[in-house]
Amino acid sequence: MNMQLVTGNHAAGQAMSLAGEANRNARGVVCGIYPITPQTEIVEKVARFPFSKGRVIPVESEHSAMGVCIGAAANGARTFTASSSNGLAYMAENIMVAAFYRLPIVMAAVNRTLGPPWNIWADQGDSLMFRDFAWVQLYCDTSQDVADSSLLAFRIAEDPRVLLPVMVCMDAFIISHTSMEIEMASQEQADQFLPDCQIPHRLDSSRPFTTVGMTLPQDTLSHRLELDEAMKRVPAVLDEHRKNFNEVFGRQVAGAVSAYRTEDADRILIASGSLSTTTRDVVDAWRAKGEKVGLLRIKMFRPFPVEQVRRICRDAAKIGVLDRNYSAGTGGIFCHEVRSSLQGTGDQMVQGYLAGVGGGDVVPELVHEVVEDLTRRTRAGEPVWQGIE
Amino acid sequence: MIEIRIHGRGGQGGVTLAKILAAAEHREGKSVQAFGVYAAERSGAPVQAYLRCDSEPIHNPNQIYEPDHLIVLDPTLISPAILAGLKPGGWILLNCEKAPEHYAAQARVAAFRIATINATSIAVHNGLGSKTVPIVNTALAGAAARLLGMNLESVINAFSEFGFHGGNIDAAREAWDAVRIQQQEPAPGERHKPAMPRGRGPSILNGNSGAPSPIHTGQWANQQPVWEDATPPCNFICPAGNDVQGFLAELTEENIDSALEILLQTSPLPSVCGRVCPGFCMTQCNRSELEGPVNVRALERYAGDHGEVSIQPQKPRAQKVAVIGAGPAGLSGAYHLARLGYGVTLFEAGAELGGLMRTGIPAYRLPREALDRDIDRILKLGVETLINTPVDHDYLQTLAQEYDAVLAATGLQRLTSLDLGLDMRRVLQGIEFLDRARSGSVSVRGEDIVVVGGGNTAIDAARSAHRMGAHKVRIIYRRTRNEMPAIAEEVDDAIDEGIGIDFLCSPLRISRDNGKRTLSCQRMELGEPDEGGRRRPLAIPGSGFEIPCDRVILAIGQAADLSLLPEDATLSRERPIEQKGIAPVYPAGDLLTNEGTVTAAIGCGREMALMLHERFSGESLLEETPAAETVVRADKIRLQHFERRDRHDENVLPLTERQSFSEIRHGLKNVEEAKRCLSCGVCNSCDRCVTYCPDGVLRREGRDIIFDYDYCKGCGVCVSECSRAVIYMKAG
Amino acid sequence: MMNAVNPQYEREDCLLRPGNTNCGGCGMSMGLTLLGRALEGETYSMVIPACCGIVTAGAYPTTSYNVPVLASTFASSPAFASGVAAVNELNQDPDARKPRVICWAGDGGTYDIGIATLSAAAERNEDLIYFCYDNEIYGNTGGQRSSATPVGARTTTTPGGKGEAKKEIMEILAAHRIPYAATLSIAHPDDFREKIRKALAMSGFRFFLMHAPCPTGWKTEPAESIELVRLAVRSGIFPLYEVYDGTDYRISMEPDGTDPEKYFEKQKRFQGQDIDLEKVKLAVTARTERLWKLAGLSQVDKAASAYSVNKPPA
Repeated sequence: MNMQLVTGNHAAGQAMSLAGEANRNARGVVCGIYPITPQTEIVEKVARFPFSKGRVIPVESEHSAMGVCIGAAANGARTFTASSSNGLAYMAENIMVAAFYRLPIVMAAVNRTLGPPWNIWADQGDSLMFRDFAWVQLYCDTSQDVADSSLLAFRIAEDPRVLLPVMVCMDAFIISHTSMEIEMASQEQADQFLPDCQIPHRLDSSRPFTTVGMTLPQDTLSHRLELDEAMKRVPAVLDEHRKNFNEVFGRQVAGAVSAYRTEDADRILIASGSLSTTTRDVVDAWRAKGEKVGLLRIKMFRPFPVEQVRRICRDAAKIGVLDRNYSAGTGGIFCHEVRSSLQGTGDQMVQGYLAGVGGGDVVPELVHEVVEDLTRRTRAGEPVWQGIE
Repeated sequence: MIEIRIHGRGGQGGVTLAKILAAAEHREGKSVQAFGVYAAERSGAPVQAYLRCDSEPIHNPNQIYEPDHLIVLDPTLISPAILAGLKPGGWILLNCEKAPEHYAAQARVAAFRIATINATSIAVHNGLGSKTVPIVNTALAGAAARLLGMNLESVINAFSEFGFHGGNIDAAREAWDAVRIQQQEPAPGERHKPAMPRGRGPSILNGNSGAPSPIHTGQWANQQPVWEDATPPCNFICPAGNDVQGFLAELTEENIDSALEILLQTSPLPSVCGRVCPGFCMTQCNRSELEGPVNVRALERYAGDHGEVSIQPQKPRAQKVAVIGAGPAGLSGAYHLARLGYGVTLFEAGAELGGLMRTGIPAYRLPREALDRDIDRILKLGVETLINTPVDHDYLQTLAQEYDAVLAATGLQRLTSLDLGLDMRRVLQGIEFLDRARSGSVSVRGEDIVVVGGGNTAIDAARSAHRMGAHKVRIIYRRTRNEMPAIAEEVDDAIDEGIGIDFLCSPLRISRDNGKRTLSCQRMELGEPDEGGRRRPLAIPGSGFEIPCDRVILAIGQAADLSLLPEDATLSRERPIEQKGIAPVYPAGDLLTNEGTVTAAIGCGREMALMLHERFSGESLLEETPAAETVVRADKIRLQHFERRDRHDENVLPLTERQSFSEIRHGLKNVEEAKRCLSCGVCNSCDRCVTYCPDGVLRREGRDIIFDYDYCKGCGVCVSECSRAVIYMKAG
Repeated sequence: MMNAVNPQYEREDCLLRPGNTNCGGCGMSMGLTLLGRALEGETYSMVIPACCGIVTAGAYPTTSYNVPVLASTFASSPAFASGVAAVNELNQDPDARKPRVICWAGDGGTYDIGIATLSAAAERNEDLIYFCYDNEIYGNTGGQRSSATPVGARTTTTPGGKGEAKKEIMEILAAHRIPYAATLSIAHPDDFREKIRKALAMSGFRFFLMHAPCPTGWKTEPAESIELVRLAVRSGIFPLYEVYDGTDYRISMEPDGTDPEKYFEKQKRFQGQDIDLEKVKLAVTARTERLWKLAGLSQVDKAASAYSVNKPPA
C-alpha cells in the first residue's frame, strides 16, 4: 500500500501526471501550465514529472494554457492543466471551446474567491461560473478524493460515450494545501486503469476537415442536442468506471452523491467539497441526540444528479443546502439546483445557507446553527448568511 | 401588413435597401421593421433582407417566409428557393436590363407581376460602388417606391438618414421614371409555403465530411473574364503584312528558323527588309513608352541572314502568270504565286533582278549578297526569269494572251525633273546617279555636290557622293526635318558623316562664273497643309542666295509610267484591269500605290498574288484587316509589369571608316533584343493570370487559358494582371 | 457525402478550394493560393483564429481548405498551434517527413488581441510557421481600426482617418530573436515562394507578414489588389525584407522611387478632406529609412531600377 502524506495540490498534480504518463504508448501527454495561487503547486508538480512521452508547456496566461491543451487534444494527446479563481475567468473563452469541441481535457480547479476583493481563500464561485459550459464538474472533499477523482476524470472524459472535459474541484487551502494521509496510485495501477486516449475527431493529415468553423443554426442545434445526450450518459459511465476503479485499486471512490444517515432522516443537509466533511460530524452529533438528521454530499455538480437527489430527499420534510458560493441576489447555486431538481416531487421545504462564502472557516458551530435554524423553521425564506450577525 | 423579401448579393446594399424603404414608410406614418440575415457576408454572396410595414404595431421578429412581394437585386438569383412562399399576384421587382415581358413568359413566375429596372447601369453611371460590385440599393428604392405607391420624395428624404446624396438621389429619380411594370394580369396560382429545416445535422464527432463547399461562387459574378488574342500595333501597321509579334516570339526562344519561317509566310525579302525597311512597326512599338522601341528591323535581318528554311511549293497548278518587273513587288508576287504552285515567268528590263533594291540602294546599306540570298530563295521555287526584257504596251497585250494573268510591277519609271537653267549637263537624277555610282561610270571626286530632295534617294545619293570623294556634299530640302520622308536614322547617319542639310531651301538655277559654278537658291517658309497633309513650302521673296556647286543631284520624286497598261485602265487595289477575251492585268507595287518603300511593295505584291489565287481557285488566303479598335496601344499595356531591358543596337562601322561602300550596320550578335517584345495583345503564355488568380480557377491547357466559370467570382485580377490585354471582362 | 469537385482542385498544392466564399479580389485568398503552391509536397495542418481566414472554411461540415484546420479563439492561434506541434513532435517518426503546423491569422489576431500569445510562442521558439495576413483592419467585422491600420486611413472607427502610425510588428517579432521573420508580397510570387522554402528548411518560430488588400474594407477595385501590393512594395510602403535571428536584416527588394501617392489614390480609405497625405508620406519615408539603417545600408538607392522584378514563377 502506497500511503503518502500529501496536500490536495500534490494529489492532483501526481495523479494527473500518472494519467499522462499512462498514455505513453499512444500519442503522449501535453500540458499547458500557468501559475496562480493556490493551485501553483499542481503545475509545479506536473512540470517536474519525468514524462517519457510528454511535453509541459509553460505559457504566458491561463487562456493559452487551455489553448495548448485544446491544440494537443485536437491532435490526439491526453491533456490536463490546473487553474483557479481569476485564472479560470481569464481562461473562460477557451474553457468553453474545450467542451464545445468535445475534447476530453481534465482540469484541476482549486476553488478560490473571485476577485476583487483580492482574496485567495476558498469559494466555489469560480468553477461554478462555468456551470453552463458543458464541463463535467466533480467537487472533492479530501486529498484522497482529489487523487482518485483525478484518475477517474480521465476515464469519464475519454469514454467514447462522453468525450467531454472534466473539472476536478477542491477548496483552496482547506484541501489544496492541507497534508493528509492518502493512498496514492502507482504508475502500474494508473496504466491498468486508464486505456490509451482515443479522440475520434482528432486532426488527421490524411483527411482535410475543419474543426469546427462556422456552423448554421440547425447544425448547431444538433450539436447541442448531441452534447446533451453525452452529458446524460455521464452518471452511468461514472458508476461503471467506479467499479473498474475498485477492481484496480481495491477501494471505493465516491460517486455523484454520497448519502449519509439519510434513510429515515426528516432533515437532510446538502453540502459539497470540504463543507461535507464538517457537516458529517455535525450530523453524527445530532443523531447522537436522537434527531433524524442526515447528510447528502453532492460531488458531481454537472451533470447535476437530479434523480439521486430526488430519491434521497423524497421522504425528508426539510432540506438545508449549504453553499460556499454565491449567485448575486439569489443565494447559493447548489441550492437552486436542488430546488429545481425537487420541483414537483413533494412538499419538502428547501432552505439555503451561505456558509464560508469568501473563504472563512465553516466551523461545526456554524453547521449546528444551520440544523437549529432548519429545525425551527416552518417555511423556506431568503438564504441565510451564516457567520454574520 | 405588407411583407417584402429582398434577395441580393453581399455588397449590393440589399439590407440598406430594406432600411431605406422602412425609413420612408416610417415617415409616412407606418409601423415598420427592416433587417437582414447576418452570416459571414462576403462580397457577392447571396444575402436576404426583409421589410415589414403595417398600420398596426408589428410583433413578428422572424424572417419572412411568405412575402407579399420580392425585390431581386440580381436576376441570376431567381430560383425556386427564392420564389418559395411568394403570394400569387405579388410583384417581383428585378434589377435587369430586360423588359418584364421577357420573364412574364416563364411558367415559374407566371403567377406574379414582374417589374424591371436596370439598376446596375444606373448605379454604375452614377458612380455608386465599384465596377465589380455596383451598389444598386438607391436605384431600386426609387423603383420600389413607385411599385409601393409611395411618395418618391419620402424615399429621397429618407436618404439623409443614411448619408446618401448626389448620385444616390439621381439614381432613385432615374429608376422611378424608368421602371417597367408588367401590364398583363398575372395568372392564378398557389402559394408554396417553404418547409422549415427539421432534420438532425451531422455529428460533431464524426460528421465532419471534409467535403468542399457546394457553392458555385461563379454565380456571384456579374462579369466574366474572356481570353482572346488582339492585334499588336506592329502587325497592324506592317505594310508587308508580317506577323512581327509572331517572329519575335520565336526569336525569344532562339528559334531562328521558325522565326524566318513566319517571316517567309508574308515576305520573301527578310534580309532586305531587315536592312532597308523604314521600320513602320518600330514607330508603333509600345515599348517606346519604356526604353525605346524593339529593334525589329535588326531582328528581321538576323532571322533573314541566319535562318535556314526550305520552302516547298504546293503541287503545280494549271495557270501561268507573267510578272513584269523584278523589283520588290514583282518578286513578292512571283514568290507567292510560285509557292502556291502557279507557273511564273518574271520579266525584267534590266540585266539583273532586284530593281531599285539593286540599282537604287547603295551597297553600304544593302550589300548585294544579302539581296541575292533573298532572290535565290525565290528563284528556287521554280520562277522562270527573262532579264533584259522590257515590256511595253503591246508586249503586255501579247503576254495577256499567252498567260492566264499578268502582274504588272514596273515601279515608278518617270523621274521628276526641274529646269535649273542651261547647264543641265551638271544635273543628274538621283536614281541614275546611284546606278552609275554602283557601276563606276561616274566620278565626283573633288566636286561640290548639291543634292536636292528629302527622301531616301537624296540621302543615299549624298552619302554615296561623300564616299566617292566629293569635296563637299550638301542637301537642300524645301521643307523642314519634320516633313522629310527619308528614314530618320539614315538622315542622322548622313549628318554624322558630315553632310550638311539646308532646310527650307529651294534651288532656282545653276550658273557659271569664272570657271566656278554656283547654285542659286531661295529660302522657303511653310504655309497651309497640302492634300497629303504636309505643310506647303512657299518662297520668301528676296531671300535668294548662292552656294558653290559643281553638280546637282535631283532626287525630288518619281511617278508611274502608265503607258504600258491598256488604255483607259483604272488602277485599283480592289480589282484587276479586266480585258475582254484576254487575261486580266494586276498592277502591283509602286505602279499601283506609289508608297515608295520596299516593304509596302512586298505587301502589295503579295496581296495581288493572293487576289489572283482567289480568282483561280476560289480560296481566299488574304487575311481580313483587323478593326483599328482591336489594336492594343500602350494605354492597354501594363507597362509597370515589365523589367527594364535596354535596347540592343547593331554594331556600326566607325565614321572614320566610311570611305568605301562596305556595309555600315553589322547586324545583332544575338537575338536577346527579341525578349524586349511586349507581345502586345497576344498571349505569350506568361501565366501571370494563372499565378495571380486568387481562387486558382484558371489553368493553362496548351496555348489556351481555361476559366472555370463555375467558381470564377469575376474579380478581374486576371485582367489587371494580364500585361498585354489578352484577357478582358465581359458582362456575365 | 462528398460534393462533386473538379479533380484539378484535389491537387495537393490547391490549399484554398474553389467554392470558398471569400470576396472577389481578396488578398488573403491570393496568399492562401500562393502558400499552397509553396508548400507543395509538405504535410501540414493549420490553426486559424477568428478572422476572415476561418470563415473561409465555410459552413460545417464542409471545408474550403484542403488540409486539416483547427479553428481557434481570436487570441489563441499560437497556443493552440503549440499544442498541435507538441503532439506532432512527440509522435514524430524519425524516418518520416516532419508535419508542419501553420498559424494563419489576420492583423487583429496578430497585432492586437493575440499579441501576448504570439509573443509567448515566439519567445518559447515553438516549432511553428506563423502567417499574419495584414489587411490593416478588422475585415471580418466590417472594417474597424486595428493597430496595423496605417496613419491616415479611414475605417468605421476612425471616420476622419487614423491618427496613429502602424505598429511595427516585424520589429517586435525581431526583438524575440526568432530564427526567421520576413515580409511577403502577393505581387511577388517568386520571392514569396523562396522565403517559404527557406523557412521550411529551418525549425523554431518563423514569422511572415503578408500585405493583404481587402477590396471591401479598403474601398478598392477588386481587380487592383495585386497592383496595390506592387505599388506598396515599390514605393516603400510595404518593404520586402527578411530578419534572421532577430538581428540580421536583409532587404529583398529595393523601393524604386514610385510615388506613394499612386498607392493612396487608388484607395477610397485614404480619400477625404481630413487626411493629410503629406504626413502619411513622411511616415513612409521614415519607416523605409529606419529599415535601411537596420539593414546596415547607408542610403536609399532610389534609382536602383526603373521596373522591379515581377516575374510569375516558371
